[in-house]
Amino acid sequence: MLKTSLVIFLLLFNSVFCIKQAAEEFEENLSLKSLRDGRVTSSFSFKTLLRDAAPRDPRTLALDNDDSQHYTLFPLTLGQILRQYAITELHLTLNAGKWNYESWGYPDESGVGVGAELWAWMADGSPSSIDERWQGLRNALAGLFCASLGSLDEQRTTSPRQSFPPQGDLPDWGLPHELRHASHASEHVCTENLTPFLKLLPCKSLSGLATLLNPHRIFDADWHGIGLHVLWLPEGVEVRLNVQLVSDPLRISSTNKQDWSFHSLFDRKVDQACPIAKTSRVAVELPSSGFYRVHPEPLEIKDGQAYYNLKIANEAWNIGTMWPTDFEYPLSKPNQALVPFSVQRSLRGSTQDRGELSIVVTNHQQNTLQLRYLETMPWIIQFYLHTIRVHSDGVLKNDLISNISYVLPVAHSRPATFESILTLPGGSNLTFTMNVAKAFLRYTEHPPDAQRGWDLPPAVFTPLLQSRDDSIGRIYTPSLLVDLATPDFSMPYNVIMFTCSVVAFIFGSVFNVLTRKFVVVRLEPTEIQDN
Amino acid sequence: MDGQSGFRDPSTIHFQQDFIRRYIIGSYWLIIVLALPLWWQTTSIERLPLPTSEVYLQATKKFQLPLELCADSAFSGHVPAMQDLIRQSASYLDAKIILGRDCSMYQFSGYAVLPGTQLAIQDKTLYCSPDLPVDNFTSVLLSLVAPPMDRRAAQYAPRYRLSFTLLNEDASAGQVIISWDIQKAIIQHISPITSALGTLHNFTIESQVQFHAPLAFEPQPLSDGTYGLTPEDLTVFINSAEWTLSSSSSNDPVLHFVLFVPSTKRRPLVILNSDGSSSNSSAFLIPQWGGVVILNLPPPPPTMQFLEASELRSSFSTFSRQLLTLLGYPRLHPSISSLRKTALTPWQIDSLLRQRMHENIVRSHDTLRSTVTLVSQIEGMPVDDKVHSQVQGSLKALHELFDFARTHLTLEEMLTLSARALTLSSKAFFHPGMLALLYFPAEHKYAVYTPLFATAMIPMLAAALRELAAWRKERKARAAAAVIPEGDKNVNEPNSSDTAVSADTDAMDAGR
Repeated sequence: MLKTSLVIFLLLFNSVFCIKQAAEEFEENLSLKSLRDGRVTSSFSFKTLLRDAAPRDPRTLALDNDDSQHYTLFPLTLGQILRQYAITELHLTLNAGKWNYESWGYPDESGVGVGAELWAWMADGSPSSIDERWQGLRNALAGLFCASLGSLDEQRTTSPRQSFPPQGDLPDWGLPHELRHASHASEHVCTENLTPFLKLLPCKSLSGLATLLNPHRIFDADWHGIGLHVLWLPEGVEVRLNVQLVSDPLRISSTNKQDWSFHSLFDRKVDQACPIAKTSRVAVELPSSGFYRVHPEPLEIKDGQAYYNLKIANEAWNIGTMWPTDFEYPLSKPNQALVPFSVQRSLRGSTQDRGELSIVVTNHQQNTLQLRYLETMPWIIQFYLHTIRVHSDGVLKNDLISNISYVLPVAHSRPATFESILTLPGGSNLTFTMNVAKAFLRYTEHPPDAQRGWDLPPAVFTPLLQSRDDSIGRIYTPSLLVDLATPDFSMPYNVIMFTCSVVAFIFGSVFNVLTRKFVVVRLEPTEIQDN
Repeated sequence: MDGQSGFRDPSTIHFQQDFIRRYIIGSYWLIIVLALPLWWQTTSIERLPLPTSEVYLQATKKFQLPLELCADSAFSGHVPAMQDLIRQSASYLDAKIILGRDCSMYQFSGYAVLPGTQLAIQDKTLYCSPDLPVDNFTSVLLSLVAPPMDRRAAQYAPRYRLSFTLLNEDASAGQVIISWDIQKAIIQHISPITSALGTLHNFTIESQVQFHAPLAFEPQPLSDGTYGLTPEDLTVFINSAEWTLSSSSSNDPVLHFVLFVPSTKRRPLVILNSDGSSSNSSAFLIPQWGGVVILNLPPPPPTMQFLEASELRSSFSTFSRQLLTLLGYPRLHPSISSLRKTALTPWQIDSLLRQRMHENIVRSHDTLRSTVTLVSQIEGMPVDDKVHSQVQGSLKALHELFDFARTHLTLEEMLTLSARALTLSSKAFFHPGMLALLYFPAEHKYAVYTPLFATAMIPMLAAALRELAAWRKERKARAAAAVIPEGDKNVNEPNSSDTAVSADTDAMDAGR
């Protein structure tokens, strides 16, 4: 009886990602915005919603028989990975370049940290441990996206729950949910990542907005990144694929105008809308001042945005904005900041064994700001927490840092997690410094090829929810580069020879002294006289 | 200075005593001797002994599966020819044909051949007219007992993934199949097969729809307005660069079933025979990979369409036939008719089971033999306990299997054992730990050790030999002194030249 009810219970839970007819929806959106410095940011978002589906209960991983999976719009290859490792929420971003918050404002997709970043929420309770599933997930995604995500190993994996809260819901299975986060700053996005990314879209890059994703232009942009987000929402499981880029029309064009159009930015037009997309919408943010012309005539203008619906007419779309005058670079510093605070992070010190981590945060607002500051540092940089000094406008104020939590690094295996809360009085400039030690690596831990140094992952700042401005989420600092002591690998045998000679010499001398036998030699007096 | 009065004799100083010096030299050697096993252990690679002789012995064993067949006495004339033929064409069968009148009792336990008006099969019984010529009779029976293995069948795996894909060649060209009633179609056509063959394999079923699946080539336009696929085109039909068909997340083999809907611009798309005429069939099979069905929808095309289960019937019955071929299910001899509605007869499933079991045993024998041969040929190849236990487990499964007569295993249990033997042996063969050959070769090791150990060992050896020589001399002198009466003790003064060589000049310097 108990067994039967257990089976029924499991079967109920097992109905994961089960699909009723027409339960899948696909929406595509593109928003374009001209920036202060003449650049244009384009943000593509492709959303697939699997209605009434729920993530897999990890307890069902124990069952050998896997349910069948039937998808129409949802990518099967991704669905298999999510099912096999019972992932509740997943975020993967691959970016190249430094997002300039001061002149570009806050991005549409908050994950703009340089390099690869992967984080996932998983429930415990499966026969295989969370770390095993995390490893499997990394390897599966590495295979799917042709990216070196396998290197996001335990040496880079942390679990900063507060800075990376789940963006969707977590199912209430009575099981604890765990976060795994890893980032790899030197992994750059490239064409081989974009091709498998496009294959996950129902229309690939053959119709709809994805036609514009021309690799020649995306990877030529000043900043570019792709992202994959899987969330569980009340209506179902949502997969969001997004591409963001910041391109410079002034660099491309021969004139001094900041005019842009699909054709000038992507070298393509949208010839056909994706036939299965529920909506296919383009939003252009209108400039706040000056003369300009948006073409073609938008369907609707609302809140300073011009909207187009590509599903209405099957024509070749070449949306753009034109200006009658040349673009003038803003020479003076803009008086109004686009983000409430800005951060500079640097690693100082010239030696190869010590250094100082320095962070300067400027609050552009008049009211006090509280920030959660997170460092996920590989063990090659070790913090000296007792040397933390916090200065506010040049005055030592250590009470501005609070709630420090620190997970110690383990050499050769685990990174450090440093989390704290910084309080910035209105309009102030806060300086945080801390001494660090640089590790001495083992012979085999050095990469086999010539390299420029070790990239350290970006620090993450999250404003605490006291400001009304909820649109600001995480802010990533640029990555840092650290140069560790590197031996001369060109002469290992010479080193071995020298070391061995020295060791053998010392050994010989010590051994000789220990086993020497002294005797008294009696000399004849005549001999002394001779001498 | 007067040397005689100012100095103590060095041999009377505590640390200059002979036994102290010998202890020091001896302790150095003791440390070296104690360190040797540690050095050996840390530098040697783990190579657990594999049961080589056992594997070779096992690999030479021939597997003989008993097969009991009861033939009605009406067929007594056919029996000897039949027995010979079975022995020739299927050496793994130990066929025993019983002639008797009470064959109807065998209907429930074994296989029976009973007289009947027409050639027909029901469960495990074959009805056959006794007037059938001997040649015909034997070929019919052989097709049931030991059918030839189809080369197009996929290799045995305990679990298969069946992947159904609906491909719209170009959804933006005018017509889109937005979805299909795959679940109903699977229940109607695929589930009967997967449940009947559930003793052989587990199946995972998955499906997807793709909206842009371009071909890698241009089909030929024909004179009558259709488009044709030549046999050469079929070999490159699957465009794996553009179609995302493969499932990456597990190691189970995948059987692909592709329903291809050509673009409205290229309709109808037909398959051409090698002589250029259009073929009646709209489907083809890719051996060991899967099957493809081309679905030409009738005009005029609606822009959006949902494929009902009724519209999928012909495609899915083709898929079900293709699935049976890929799984190696033998075809019924064309002259036999089945008395049951189901396409699968228990007799044929049993034959497939025997065949698969034989295939598994041969493959695991080969894999085990290759593993031990490889390990014995490459000396730097590590063999850890995982590989060892996998080889042992595979052998154990084979032993259990070969012991079937004593333990009365059923066919299903035997298949499970053979599958386990195969899985474990191939796991052992492909174990990643074995692939990692020695990173640090022996020559490299000696090149690193020699500069250190040679220079350190020479003074130690010299000191040990010198001390040994001194000790022997001393012993000889003591033996001589035992003969000479006491009083002449001075003879034993330890100022013999060879023990003092190293210290002589230093002692003189100290004297000044």
